[in-house]
Amino acid sequence: MSILELKNVSYAYSVGTPFAKKALDNVSVSFEANRITGLIGHTGCGKSTLVQLLNGLLSPSEGQVLFDGQDVNEKGFDNKSLCFRVGLVFQYPEYQLFEETVYADIAYGPKNMGLDEQEIDRRIRTAAEFVRIDPKLFDASPFDLSGGQKRRVAIAGIMAMDPEVLILDEPAAGLDPVGREEILGGIRFYQRRRGNTVIIVSHSMEDMARYSDRLVVMDHGRIAMEGDCAEIFSKADALTSVGLDVPQITRFMLALKQRGVDVRTDVFTVDQARDEILRVAGGNRHA
Amino acid sequence: MSTPFISVKNLSFTYDDEETEAKHYVLKNFSVEIEKGSFVCVLGHNGSGKSTLAKLLNMILTPDEGTIVIGDTEITRPDMTEDDIFEVRRKIGMVFQNPDNQLVATIVEEDVAFGPENLGVPPTEIRRRVDEALATVGMTEYARHAPHRLSGGQKQRVAIAGIIAMLPECIIFDESTAMLDPQGRREVMNTIKMLNREKGITVLHITHNMDEAIDADRVVVINEGELYLDGTPKQVFSQVDKLRTAGLDVPQVTELFCDLREAGFSLPADILEEEEGAKLLASVLL
Amino acid sequence: MLKDITLGQYFPGNSYLHRRDPRAKIVASVLYIVVVFLCQNLWSFGFLVMATLGIVAVSGVPLKILLKSVKPLIFILAFTTVYNVFFHTGETLLVDLGFVDIYLEGILFAVIMAVRIICLLVGSSVILTYTTSPIMLTDGLERLLSPLKRLHLPVHEFAMMMTIALRFIPTLIEETEKIMSAQKARGADFSSGGLLKRVKALIPVLIPLFISAFRRASDLAVAMECRCYRGGEGRTRMTKLTFTLSDGLLLAWIAAMGAAVVLINLYLPGLSL
Repeated sequence: MSILELKNVSYAYSVGTPFAKKALDNVSVSFEANRITGLIGHTGCGKSTLVQLLNGLLSPSEGQVLFDGQDVNEKGFDNKSLCFRVGLVFQYPEYQLFEETVYADIAYGPKNMGLDEQEIDRRIRTAAEFVRIDPKLFDASPFDLSGGQKRRVAIAGIMAMDPEVLILDEPAAGLDPVGREEILGGIRFYQRRRGNTVIIVSHSMEDMARYSDRLVVMDHGRIAMEGDCAEIFSKADALTSVGLDVPQITRFMLALKQRGVDVRTDVFTVDQARDEILRVAGGNRHA
Repeated sequence: MSTPFISVKNLSFTYDDEETEAKHYVLKNFSVEIEKGSFVCVLGHNGSGKSTLAKLLNMILTPDEGTIVIGDTEITRPDMTEDDIFEVRRKIGMVFQNPDNQLVATIVEEDVAFGPENLGVPPTEIRRRVDEALATVGMTEYARHAPHRLSGGQKQRVAIAGIIAMLPECIIFDESTAMLDPQGRREVMNTIKMLNREKGITVLHITHNMDEAIDADRVVVINEGELYLDGTPKQVFSQVDKLRTAGLDVPQVTELFCDLREAGFSLPADILEEEEGAKLLASVLL
Repeated sequence: MLKDITLGQYFPGNSYLHRRDPRAKIVASVLYIVVVFLCQNLWSFGFLVMATLGIVAVSGVPLKILLKSVKPLIFILAFTTVYNVFFHTGETLLVDLGFVDIYLEGILFAVIMAVRIICLLVGSSVILTYTTSPIMLTDGLERLLSPLKRLHLPVHEFAMMMTIALRFIPTLIEETEKIMSAQKARGADFSSGGLLKRVKALIPVLIPLFISAFRRASDLAVAMECRCYRGGEGRTRMTKLTFTLSDGLLLAWIAAMGAAVVLINLYLPGLSL
């Protein structure tokens, strides 16, 4: 079941000026409901434009954006509420914090939705739990928090709007391994618990291999590939040709196969690789 | 063995916690020696104290205790004059994390000229150095461009050019790759390696990204302000559990070999790269 | 998008005017302004308009773009014109409306004033701002004013501030756009409601913007210190401005224009105002 769909969408920036640039070129893609989709591509491939089309911040130059089968740019559609139904967390979201307290900042989105205080409170507490922000910090100034905490507060601000689709643009950018795990692990915990749709924009193959169910690969304003992780990572050559790296472990399995060891190469996590090697080794020993 | 270029002894840096009024150590009794011409990677998670070390070396911060000697100057001695400080800063260039916040001028080559201009270098010599520095980082064709239209990796390369135009002996990269995409990161890492190998510049690369440490001559791991591990990449990364405890990753292949060793395979622990790993494992399996 | 706006009015090109030393152009534009005020009768104004059109032709900047820059002044132009038409008295009465009289002199004076303002704006900006990049302009100003350093005026610091402002304005504009989009994604509404509501809606944009600007400023200060910046003292420059014969000629041209205007005032006194 797809919840968000782009049909023959093109988008160009600054049309009619010398800086005009086509960001998306006849893109058709659908995002499946209740799963985590990784949207991968190098800088300038159009992925940031694509997500802004999905939540109505931009409207396509050509083509349709469908939410639950409805064209979001059609007159009858309540475009204003689209940003509440499709929540978008921008890159480095900690730079959008502005309130005096953590609590008030998370409340900003829900308040704009016109919810009552009790409901807002409930949502803030749930969102904070998803991103592991201790309620003790609610009264603190968001500017006194650590970098990782700030980012999690910003993400909670979008989660508290309870969107049907949550989109995150490079949520782990610039963080160390522990910070990455906190953010991405938190997002997965949220998705598994809430069972809604999550789209993560990233250029880290390793992260997407660990945290997403499905992948959409973009290149030069077009969709280059889409499919399950195993399917995508088994096409190492194609990924390299669009300027992306496959995880080191996948490269390792490919190298192993080249040397004559009969292993599967659609492996993209260390655990899968270990199991696969143990399987092959076991087979050898029994043979 | 050559004499160390940078010698840090028993360095401590603290700040007072406002609430508990207790002293909080950012660096504690930290000692390390960096040889001239080496490529040293300083690894540590966010808040481990690794950036503080860089700021102490460049005299942006002053230590509470301990000494730092650079070349034959002890920079921690109390009678450092302003001229001495600037000489240290010329010798040890610094490239920072945010590519936007370290470029001063509105044109690339003007920015590269900024350092030499501050040093009072004659105009013709500045011109020569700027052209050479831009050529070194491969940004010659962007000499007349505005910095805000460049990519992150390109901005960092301009920042590097601005430093090498001051003819430093050592460059500290303070998480200079953290905000870049993979493409930009590759550009900057290649530039860093080239500066070390071909120009003989001592490199201190501070990062939390273990991929960038694999090609270093030496890896120094800082954890909670203390020296935690120190050795060649192979020596350091083979200690998978210790690195994990310090909140750091190891290469996936190293992790796999560690898992396989636990499963009873007799394999070495210090495999970092996929080719050498595949060769070894193939010989065991076949 | 916001970030595509060009800063200042610089129109890139390689005309005679573009290639001149910025110091020469700063002085020339001041001279030009003097010339405009020297004009005293219709003949000299006619000459001024022709000469200004000549300068525009030399600069290669399209007249259309230049006239656009007059747009913000339309209100002032209209106001002075109306004021002069109604309240300037003379000898030739054209219309008597009872409460106000319109004289021929009034209409002429209004036209002259409008021409003066337009010439002032178009002429001085085509000599200076349209043909000089902001960085050259700053550079020229710094060097032209450098004698004032002896009076302990912070000329270098002022020029450095200008340079940094020019460098960071596009970055901050881009950042503003980003923060606005981010707050829109949280349901912020910048385009509806009364003035108070709109100003209030900007708080979530302004606070993060200020915080980020301060962070950038402190980062930049550290980076500049690390690149051995210690003010203008003992500093050299990579590009040396050289004042050539052509630069001198530019000044000579404008001076000649002034001389011509004075002569016209003296020997063609007709239609004087």
